[in-house]
Amino acid sequence: MQFKELIVQETNNICEQLSSYEDRHTSFKELFLTKDTINFGPIKLLDRASIAMRTVILFLTVLTIYFFSTLDYQSIDVLKGFTDTFVNFKTMFLNPYAQRFTLGEAFYNVVVTLGLAFLTTLIGGIVALLLGLLAAQNLAPKQVTNLIKGFVAIIRAVPTILWVLIFAVAAGLGSAAAIIGMSFHSISYLTKAYSESFEDLDRSVIEALMASGANWWQIVFQAVIPSSVTYLLSWTFLRFEINFANAVAMGAAAGAGGIGFDLFMAGGFYFDLREVGFITYLIIAIAIALEVFSTNIKGKLQKSI
Amino acid sequence: MALLELKNVTKNYNNECCALDNVSFSVDKGEFVSIIGPSGAGKSTLLRCINRMVEASSGEISVDGLISSSLSKKKLRKLRTKIGMIFQHYNLVDRLTVIENVLHGRLGYKSTLAGVLGRYSQEEKSQAYRIIEILGLNEQIYKRCDQLSGGQKQRVGIARALVQNPKIILCDEPIASLDPNASKIIMDHLGNISKEMGITIIVNLHQVEVALKYSDRIIGVNRGKVVFDGAPCDLTTRQIRDIYGSESEDLIIDLGERHAG
Ligand SMILES: Nc1ncnc2c1ncn2[C@@H]1O[C@H](COP(=O)(O)OP(=O)(O)O)[C@@H](O)[C@H]1O
Ligand SMILES: [Mg+2]
Repeated sequence: MQFKELIVQETNNICEQLSSYEDRHTSFKELFLTKDTINFGPIKLLDRASIAMRTVILFLTVLTIYFFSTLDYQSIDVLKGFTDTFVNFKTMFLNPYAQRFTLGEAFYNVVVTLGLAFLTTLIGGIVALLLGLLAAQNLAPKQVTNLIKGFVAIIRAVPTILWVLIFAVAAGLGSAAAIIGMSFHSISYLTKAYSESFEDLDRSVIEALMASGANWWQIVFQAVIPSSVTYLLSWTFLRFEINFANAVAMGAAAGAGGIGFDLFMAGGFYFDLREVGFITYLIIAIAIALEVFSTNIKGKLQKSI
Repeated sequence: MALLELKNVTKNYNNECCALDNVSFSVDKGEFVSIIGPSGAGKSTLLRCINRMVEASSGEISVDGLISSSLSKKKLRKLRTKIGMIFQHYNLVDRLTVIENVLHGRLGYKSTLAGVLGRYSQEEKSQAYRIIEILGLNEQIYKRCDQLSGGQKQRVGIARALVQNPKIILCDEPIASLDPNASKIIMDHLGNISKEMGITIIVNLHQVEVALKYSDRIIGVNRGKVVFDGAPCDLTTRQIRDIYGSESEDLIIDLGERHAG
């Protein structure tokens, strides 16, 4: 009772104070503009963080100026360089044309690249599903999760292309090295993503099912996976898009074939800018199609679940 | 022979003394037992020792004639199917529907493969429907659990326990997160379950007045020790003080009101 009265009193006090402020200054806007009303204490404009920030920016500016002023341009005319590049872009993107192959052949090579992306995502997804379960803190002992999480973090820290080159030592440059290397990186990426999706289900829920006599595998397949399936799919789609881009690059860099290899030949071997433009457009079209497709599927899934 | 029997059960977490200290009691079929006591007294630990979600440090617990500490993993699973459990925070799989959550109660009876594939028999499904209907959830049956109110979620929890065909249902503060209205509905359901289905109910409660209203028997716990074990009408002000220590003052007022009313 007393407490309630006290609150009512206090509220009234505050209201009175506020309205007297309003009387004196006619509006709240003025209240905030006048300096003498409320003293918030000294406002520090230069605290430690902003000093550090300014120092870094200043340092970078000086460095940039120094770099450009001392850069050895040799005999290159910078302005001409820019205009030539621009002209090249114009030929590339305004007059795309495929000379060395038909549309059918181009399409076939796109399918090869998509196949590479699909296969590596599939291998990655299956292995990561198992590893993800063992890396999820609500499903496995702490030592196991730490071990797996650390292991995949190391794999992930090394870029895909490097893994492909490492496996190329054993398998030789080509599609085998590309598949192994890309799968390897996909596994580590998806393991992290999957395990975090699994961890969304509270440990106490899993304990509740354990208490009713269900065992680990039953809980995983009846509770954990069904409740995280939308996340799993959307991570997998994302990785497929990444792997498509990787597959294009591997075609060029590791000789894995597909549309990436055509791009490499057109650009680096035949110097055919119009063909480079054509292939680039083709790749962009595929990427957009993938994006639309995956967005659609995700939308449907979200509706059905 | 009693359905559930605890003999000198003691539990120490991390060698600290004593979440449970030499607890002994037995419970019969169909009894409604409330366990009351301040927080940290060991109520949750006591319930979890019964289905071995927590391993007792020493002592003997027998459920339906089986000494639970001696059971193999497989037999323990079988024993657990006979013991339902419901929780303060419901512990449902939020993104699944009511019927899916209720059917989870059957997993313990299945082989690993049948459970993994989710093969529920027609009989199991119709039993689940029947229980959902009894608990008044027919309209929510295909709704996801995260769209339900707290009271509805707790009823799904009860349905999941009932579909196990349990002999005992353990309830760990089932109404601590619910408003008075929903609390009454839940407690009424638990009361009916013990009376009409003959299932033993053991419920941890915070509210003395609720325990007084629904229980056949009250067990008071303080610092891991049983300090009261008897019928609700035998619970005196002094004993409430023993159970709750310094927290007891406002609770005693409730008891006074009961005697007045
Ligand atoms: N997992 C645990 N590890 C260590 N100590 C615990 C654990 N669970 C409970 N305890 C301790 O055991 C005592 C009893 O806890 P609990 O059974 O949860 O009490 P209640 O349910 O009555 O509030 C408390 O002192 C608590 O700190
Ligand atoms: Mg508790």
